[in-house]
Amino acid sequence: MGILQRITRNIDNRYWDPGLIGFPVKNSYTAGVAGQRFFEEIKENGRIFGSKCAGCDLTYVPARIYCERCLSGLEEKDWVDVGDEGTVYAYTEVHQTKSGEAKEKPSLIAAVKIADGLLIHRLGDCLPEAVHIGMPVKAEFKPKNERQGGIEDIKYFKPF
Amino acid sequence: MRKVAIVGAGMTKFVRRALETPKELSFQATKTTLDSCGLTLDDVDCVAHGTAPDAFDGLHQNGEYMVDGCGGWNKPTMRVYVGGGTGIHAIAHGWHHVASGLFDTCLVVCEEKMSSAMPHAQAFFLTIFDSITERALEPNLLWIFALEMNRYMERYGYSKEDMALVAVNNKLNGLKHPASQFTDQVTVEDVVNSEMMAYPVSRLDVSPVSDGAAAVLLASERVARRLTDKPVWIEGVGWSLDTAYWATRDLYYPRYTDTAARMAYEMAGIREPAKQINIAEPYDPFDYKALHHMEGLQLSPRGKTVELLRDGHFDRDGNLPMCPSGGLLGVGNPIAAAGTMKVCELFWQLRGEADERQVPGNPQLGVAQSWGDLMQVSSVVVVGI
Repeated sequence: MGILQRITRNIDNRYWDPGLIGFPVKNSYTAGVAGQRFFEEIKENGRIFGSKCAGCDLTYVPARIYCERCLSGLEEKDWVDVGDEGTVYAYTEVHQTKSGEAKEKPSLIAAVKIADGLLIHRLGDCLPEAVHIGMPVKAEFKPKNERQGGIEDIKYFKPF
Repeated sequence: MRKVAIVGAGMTKFVRRALETPKELSFQATKTTLDSCGLTLDDVDCVAHGTAPDAFDGLHQNGEYMVDGCGGWNKPTMRVYVGGGTGIHAIAHGWHHVASGLFDTCLVVCEEKMSSAMPHAQAFFLTIFDSITERALEPNLLWIFALEMNRYMERYGYSKEDMALVAVNNKLNGLKHPASQFTDQVTVEDVVNSEMMAYPVSRLDVSPVSDGAAAVLLASERVARRLTDKPVWIEGVGWSLDTAYWATRDLYYPRYTDTAARMAYEMAGIREPAKQINIAEPYDPFDYKALHHMEGLQLSPRGKTVELLRDGHFDRDGNLPMCPSGGLLGVGNPIAAAGTMKVCELFWQLRGEADERQVPGNPQLGVAQSWGDLMQVSSVVVVGI
């Protein structure tokens, strides 16, 4: 067996750049039937919607077109405005970039509980030492003219 | 092994670009299937689901991603992936779950969303070929199949018009399918004169790029008899993989289909498939492929297939109707879902529920086959009523 390169310390095995092999195709994604409506509401009205399965008494955030527990279809009548406030369910402070370099400033990421769902998002206007599980947070939307209809239309969640 | 029946079937419409996410497509097919046999998710013991390359949906671990749309929340689930063979491989996989006695019901759900690949799903195939000897030549499936089609036609003296006849027939059948993505009838001239992609493959020799999902519900004999008086029994399953090395294959004869079909026929106790089978749904991503597979399935003598085709032997009212659904050429080709769609078709045909597409004469026994991976897998299922 010929060895072209041997990495003897795992830490030297940093990252792999897919650009190097010139992969020719990209993917583009649709937000889906539920996602389309969910992001339209954020973009146009600054409102976060969930969908409620009455049978399972469960409100999904982001909204979906079906309940994963009973596979009932969730329709227009099942959509609920869940408000723009939630609580920190779990959080992390990220110190490295995706390629493993130290970040200039660590960033805060949280799983924000809204109704029965969790939205993964950034925390802002918030000192790292102040963050705690159970902390009430509120969505900070971008100004309406800057919203694109995506998850980053919410800039971050901040304590209030 | 226990007897296993199909008791419900459902599918989405096949379309070029769906707004639905892969999960949402899976949900629609799964829900329709459950509704078709009056069951709820509580009645489902396990899920066997399939999608072909993760690259199409653009989601690594696509099987895991799809799980909740397939009704797999908190249930034993297993994904199958053998490229284009997935849609029927997943049926064999689900059959094991029930035949083994481990589960009484199994949802089989297959989905593909090819439209997320930009600019075109075709380019993803670059990475399935040998990275040293082939990739540098920038292969795609069109010219790889052009080589096979060319060899097949040359071997038996078939013409492009002969091959085009399959596209015409299947697309005509597909017009009667409510899930078809096509609206127009085509003629042999249309096919032959359509844009040349890689000789001898013209655009209309090829099935389209599609998004969609299809599903069936499998049940043990005890459950099946309680649910319906028309269970469609899985009489036999078979699958086989040939070498991925092109140089040791015939190209004009699909040995992998031969082996898989013989396995399924033996299980089903079928000795003379060409006489005993009433409906065939061979995998038809390209028109020549349907004929190629009919020979591998032992449903047509090698080299005589075009003659039988021209005699109307494979027409809806012929001796052995071929692709009454319309197949991939006539309904669409969301890779994994396309194979399962063929099994849905046999389910409806054998129960006499195929409406305008119904094959006359109360068909009793059908075979469906799918094909793919590195062009060397075949999966076969024989069903009967």
